[in-house]
Amino acid sequence: MKLLNASWWKVLCVIFLMYTVIAGFLVEVPHLPILHETIRNLYFHVCMWFSMMFIFTVSLVYSIKYLMKPEEDSDIIASEGVNTGIIFALLGLITGSLWAKYTWGAWWINDPKLNGAAITVLSYFAYVVLRSSIDDEQKKARISAVYNVFAYVMMLVFVMIYPRLSGVDSLHPGNGGNPGFNAYALDYHMRIVFYPAVIGWVLLSAWIASINIRLERIKRNNHN
Amino acid sequence: MQREMRHELRSRRSWLAILLYIASTVYITYLAFQHDLDPVTWNALFWILIIFISMFAASGSFAGREGEMLYIYTLVSPRKFIMARLLYNGIFMLLVSIAAYIGYSFFAGNPVGNIVLFMASMLLAVWGISSLLTMAFAISGKGGGGFTLMAVISFPLLVPLLITAQHVSSISMQAGGDNYVGSLAALFALDAIIAALCYLLFPYLWRD
Repeated sequence: MKLLNASWWKVLCVIFLMYTVIAGFLVEVPHLPILHETIRNLYFHVCMWFSMMFIFTVSLVYSIKYLMKPEEDSDIIASEGVNTGIIFALLGLITGSLWAKYTWGAWWINDPKLNGAAITVLSYFAYVVLRSSIDDEQKKARISAVYNVFAYVMMLVFVMIYPRLSGVDSLHPGNGGNPGFNAYALDYHMRIVFYPAVIGWVLLSAWIASINIRLERIKRNNHN
Repeated sequence: MQREMRHELRSRRSWLAILLYIASTVYITYLAFQHDLDPVTWNALFWILIIFISMFAASGSFAGREGEMLYIYTLVSPRKFIMARLLYNGIFMLLVSIAAYIGYSFFAGNPVGNIVLFMASMLLAVWGISSLLTMAFAISGKGGGGFTLMAVISFPLLVPLLITAQHVSSISMQAGGDNYVGSLAALFALDAIIAALCYLLFPYLWRD
């Protein structure tokens, strides 16, 4: 609770994000064919997914905690984590889509990594649907915790393992023989913006989640 | 204990219903395509058929068992129950899908070149599908949402299985394909992951 309420990391978050937005557009970037300036999307799109992974991992940990020791607080953190993570996943899809329009010429293509990401978002939507369909609090918490574990493992399969399989052809950078963002981010100019960007966006996701969690705690306290 | 469970579950009246469902879906699919199916379409349709039939079979397996559940709960440990259930459903689904394959070939032709590979992909995929649907049905059963909830939950989780299975079976359309070992291994790994998750998580669902 103390860490959630502390303001030092929120100030840090604001500083990093402002730096990201300003430097992200002003600092020069390596000029690569086709990509040109759109490589700047790295600071936003990739960070969205990093934040989503972070929040979903936290949610998973608290789901497992709930299964081991049923405490209402674990359930609150798990469910609000998923809610926040979904926002970042959708933002990731949107930023990716914008990038795709300029680089590939289409908002969406039939690509394994993209499909995997979309299905991931769908499976977490199903989590929200599941939660809303059960009335009893404890049953809801327990069953959604079970489903959360499933959905997380499937997400790892979709987003990380599946696009890397040998038979799978993907156009997305980093899969299917395209140079991954490691090749881009090794450039010094990108690194000085990218690393703070990751920290800034992850902190933002933690901040949003913390607000959601505190709100939910208050709501439930009022209920009881 | 496990054997007891399996034998008990074996006496079911719904065999005829499932066979009828297979026959009707296969026939309707055949009617929808008046001309010969090229291998790619055949493949896609086959896996869609398998999904529908699996959903139907899975929903049938849990229906009307409310009264028995309490009885079973006092007797058997949840881990054993779910293993027995997964085993039974897996074998059942395999037989059902073989029947579907025979029916489908009868109507729409059989463009499969490499039968062994096709059978391997079907075996692995169907096992995964049935485990996943069993688990999803258990979850939705506790949730009280019925069929809609189960469909919503199971669809996103089924997709990696289906994509990989479709990939392998499309390779098997040519006699002797290459580059399939990775995908077969992926199917097997997916099955292992799903089974492990079911095994670990089911006891938590069971407590009711």
